[in-house]
Amino acid sequence: MLVENSLPILLSRLDFAWITSMHILWTPLTIGVSWILFGLEVAWLRSGDERWYRLNRFFEKIFIVNFGAGVATGVTMEMAFGILYGPFSQAVGPFFGNILGFETITAFMYEAGFIGLMVFGWNKIGKGMHLFSTFNVAFASSLSAYWILVANGWMQTPDGIVLKDGLFQVTNWWSAIFNESNNWGFPHMWVATMILGFFVLAGTSAWFILKNRHADLFVKMLKPAILALLIATPIQIWLGDSLGVDVAHSEPTTLAAMEGHFHTYLPDGKPNTAWNLIAIPNAANDASLFSIRIPHVLSLLETHTLNGVVPGLDQFPAKDRPDVWVPFYSFRIMVAIGFFLFFMALWGTMLILRGQLTVAGLRKRPWFLRTMVFSAFLPYLAIWTGWWTREVGRQPWVVYNLMRTYEGTSHMGLGQEIVWFLGYGVFELTVWAGAWYFFSRVIRKGPDLESPLPGEPEQDSDQEHAGGGLAKPTFAKPTFGKSH
Amino acid sequence: MFDLARIATTLTTWWWLLLSLMFLFYIALDGADLGAGVFALFSPEEQERGAIMASMAGMWDGNETWLVVAGGVLFGAFPLVYGSAFNYLMIPLMFALWGIISRAVAFEFHVHATGSKRFWGWAFAVGSFMAPFGAGVALGATLQGFPMQAGAAMAKGAPGLFVNSPVPHFTGTALTFLTPFSIFTGFGAVITAGLAGGLYLCARFEKGDPINVKAQRWTTLFSYLALIAIVITLVWSYAIFPWAAAKWTGPYWWVWALWLLVVLFFAFKSMMNHSMQKDFVALLWGEGVVVLLWFAMWATMFPYIVPETWTIQAAANPANSIAVFTLFMTGFVPIMIMYNAYQIWVFRGRTTKMASYGGH
Repeated sequence: MLVENSLPILLSRLDFAWITSMHILWTPLTIGVSWILFGLEVAWLRSGDERWYRLNRFFEKIFIVNFGAGVATGVTMEMAFGILYGPFSQAVGPFFGNILGFETITAFMYEAGFIGLMVFGWNKIGKGMHLFSTFNVAFASSLSAYWILVANGWMQTPDGIVLKDGLFQVTNWWSAIFNESNNWGFPHMWVATMILGFFVLAGTSAWFILKNRHADLFVKMLKPAILALLIATPIQIWLGDSLGVDVAHSEPTTLAAMEGHFHTYLPDGKPNTAWNLIAIPNAANDASLFSIRIPHVLSLLETHTLNGVVPGLDQFPAKDRPDVWVPFYSFRIMVAIGFFLFFMALWGTMLILRGQLTVAGLRKRPWFLRTMVFSAFLPYLAIWTGWWTREVGRQPWVVYNLMRTYEGTSHMGLGQEIVWFLGYGVFELTVWAGAWYFFSRVIRKGPDLESPLPGEPEQDSDQEHAGGGLAKPTFAKPTFGKSH
Repeated sequence: MFDLARIATTLTTWWWLLLSLMFLFYIALDGADLGAGVFALFSPEEQERGAIMASMAGMWDGNETWLVVAGGVLFGAFPLVYGSAFNYLMIPLMFALWGIISRAVAFEFHVHATGSKRFWGWAFAVGSFMAPFGAGVALGATLQGFPMQAGAAMAKGAPGLFVNSPVPHFTGTALTFLTPFSIFTGFGAVITAGLAGGLYLCARFEKGDPINVKAQRWTTLFSYLALIAIVITLVWSYAIFPWAAAKWTGPYWWVWALWLLVVLFFAFKSMMNHSMQKDFVALLWGEGVVVLLWFAMWATMFPYIVPETWTIQAAANPANSIAVFTLFMTGFVPIMIMYNAYQIWVFRGRTTKMASYGGH
C-alpha cells in the first residue's frame, strides 16, 4: 500500500481536503459577484436607472453573507499549511511561503480594507469613492485568486527552483511564478468564478420571475447575465481543454488517472487510443474491471492526432500512481457540467434572439426558468470536482515529482487529526447551513425598492445602514452629479 | 564591498520588526473588538449584543485581517517557524480559529436572523472569548519553546528526497503546549482584550447610553484585573525563563526598569482619563500600554523569534527570497495602514444602542 494511503497520512489529507473544499464553496462567488456588483454600480451611475441600484443592493446582501463565510473559512486556510503540513511549509517556504505572504499583503488585506466601505459606506462616502471601493474589493479578490493559483500551480509544475538544504530555493522567479500549470489554471479558475457568479444571479432572477415577483426587474438582470455566459462558457471549455493538454505533458500520471488510462498499448502492440466514458478501476489500481470505451478519442484530445501515444499508468511505478476513482469521476462530472452550462447559455440566447426573454415570454416557459434555478447549483459542483481532480490527481506528491505527501505532513497523532476533522466538520457545516439558509431568507424577502437612494434626503436611512456612528464626515457629499 | 550575508541579516531583522508590527496591529485593533465581544458575553439582552456587533460592523474584518497578514508575513519571511510552531500550537490555534469562524459568520447572519438571533449573538460572544483565549495560550506556549528534530515528521524511514534534510520539525505531542503558564496567559489575553473592549465601548457609545454606562464600570474593573495579570506574567516569566531573567537583570537593567515606569505611567494616564470619561484619550493611552509591553516582549526574546528554539537568522528564508519579499512587499505596508486608517476614520464617532440596533 502507498504510504499516502496509510491512516495517519490519509487523515491529514482528509483534514486539509475538508477545509479546502469548504473554503472554495465561498470564495469563487465572492470573486465573480464582486465584479458583477461593480458592473451594476457602473450601470446605475452611467444610466441613472434606479433599477440597477436596486439589483446591486439586493445581490450585495447575498454577497456579504457569502463574504462572511469566505472570511470565516479563509483565516483557517492561511494557518492550516503550517498546522497540518508543517514540513511542507518549511521546505516550500522560499517560494510558496513568499507567495502566500504576497497574497495576504496585496490581496487579503486589500479586500478587507475596502469591504466595510463597500457594504456600510453607501451614505457615508461619496459615490465616486464608493465605486472605487467596490472596484478594489473586486480587484483584490481576483488578485487573491491569482496568488493562490500561482502557489497551487507551482505545486503541480514546480518550475524555477532547486532543492538545496531541504528547502526549495528559487533560481528563477519568473518561471516559478508564471509556472505552466498556473498559466492555464488561473484563467480556468477565474472564468469559473465569473460563470458561478452569473449563474447564481441568473438562477435567482429566474426564481423571482417564476414566482412572478418583481419579474420586470429580474428580466432586466437575466438578459446581460445570459449574454455574458454565452461568452464565458465556451471560453471555459477551451481553457479546460488547454489545461488538460498541459496536464498531459507536465503531469502524465495525473492525466492517466483522470482518464482511467491504465495501458499505454493494447495487447496487440498498437497504442491504446480509447477514451473511457465510464470505468471501474480494480482494487490494485492497475486495470479497470469494466469500461465503456470510445476508440481514438483520447489520442485526439491529448495529442490532437488519431493514433498518438498517451502514456498510461503502466508507464509509472505503482508507488507513483494516483488513485483513479476520484480524478476519473470528478473530472467527468466537471466536464459534463461545463457543457450543460454552455447549453443553458445557448438556450437563453435563443430566447433573446426570438424576443422571448420578456416576462410574458418566460412565463410561458417555466421549464427554462426551473432549469436555470437548478443550474445555479451546478457551477459549485463543477468547481469542487475540478479542484478534487487537480489535488487528488497530483497524489502521491504534494510537490509534483519532488516531495511526497507524507514528507510534508505535520507531526500529529491520530487523535489530533480526528479532533480537527470533527471540529471543523461541525463548524464548517454550520457555516454552510447558516449561509445557505440566510441566502434563502434574503431571496425570499426580495429586493428593497423603498429606501431612499444614496445622496437623496435621508428619512430613516441612517438606521438602514447601521455600523457607524452618527457623525457624518464632511467629505461625504454625493459626487457623480449625473444620477437623478 | 557588498557583504551579502550581512545584507540578508539586516533584511531578516527588518522582517522580524514588521512581523512584530503586524501582530501588534492585530492585538491592538482586533483586541478591542474581541474584548467588546467578551463584554457581550455578559449582556443580558440580545439588543445589546446586536448594538455592539453593529458598532464594529464596518471595521471588524479589516482589524481581524491583521492576523492573516501576520500569518502571511511569518510564512513569507520565516517559514521554518511557521511550519514548526503552528504544528506545535495546533490545539490552541484550532480553538482560536473556531472562535474566529463563529464571530465572522455571526456578524453576517445576526442581521438577517429572526428566530435564531440569540444563537448568532451567542456565537459572536463565545467566539470573541475563544479567539483571545486560544491566542493567549499560543503566545504563552511559544515563550516556552518546543522540541524539534531533523528527519521525517511522519512515516519515518520511508524513502524520498527529504531523508537527509537538515530542516528540524516539531516532534512533541499534541499537548506539549499545555502548562499552567500557557493556560494563565490564555486568561491574561482575555482580560487584556476585555479591558481594550471596555475602553473601546466607552469611546464608541454616547455618554449616558446604557452600553456606555455599563462599559464604564466594566473598564474600571478590568483595568485592575489587567494590572494584576501583567504583574503576575512578569514575575512568572522572570521565574521560569532564564533568557528573560538574564536580560532583565543584565547590564541594561535600568532600561527595562525605565520602560516599566513608562508602562505604569501610560496605564495611570489611561485610568485617569477613563475616570474623567475622556474615553477616546483613555483608549489611546491604554493601547499605548499594549504597544510598550509588546515591544518589550519582542526585545526580551531577541535574538530569538521562538525562545531557545528558533533564532531570527536560523528561521529566515534564504537571502534571495528575503530580498524579493522585501523588494515587493515593504512598500505595501504603509499603503495597508493608510486604507485601514481611512476605513476606520469613515466609521468613527460615537453611536447609541438604539441607532446601531436599528439596522438589525
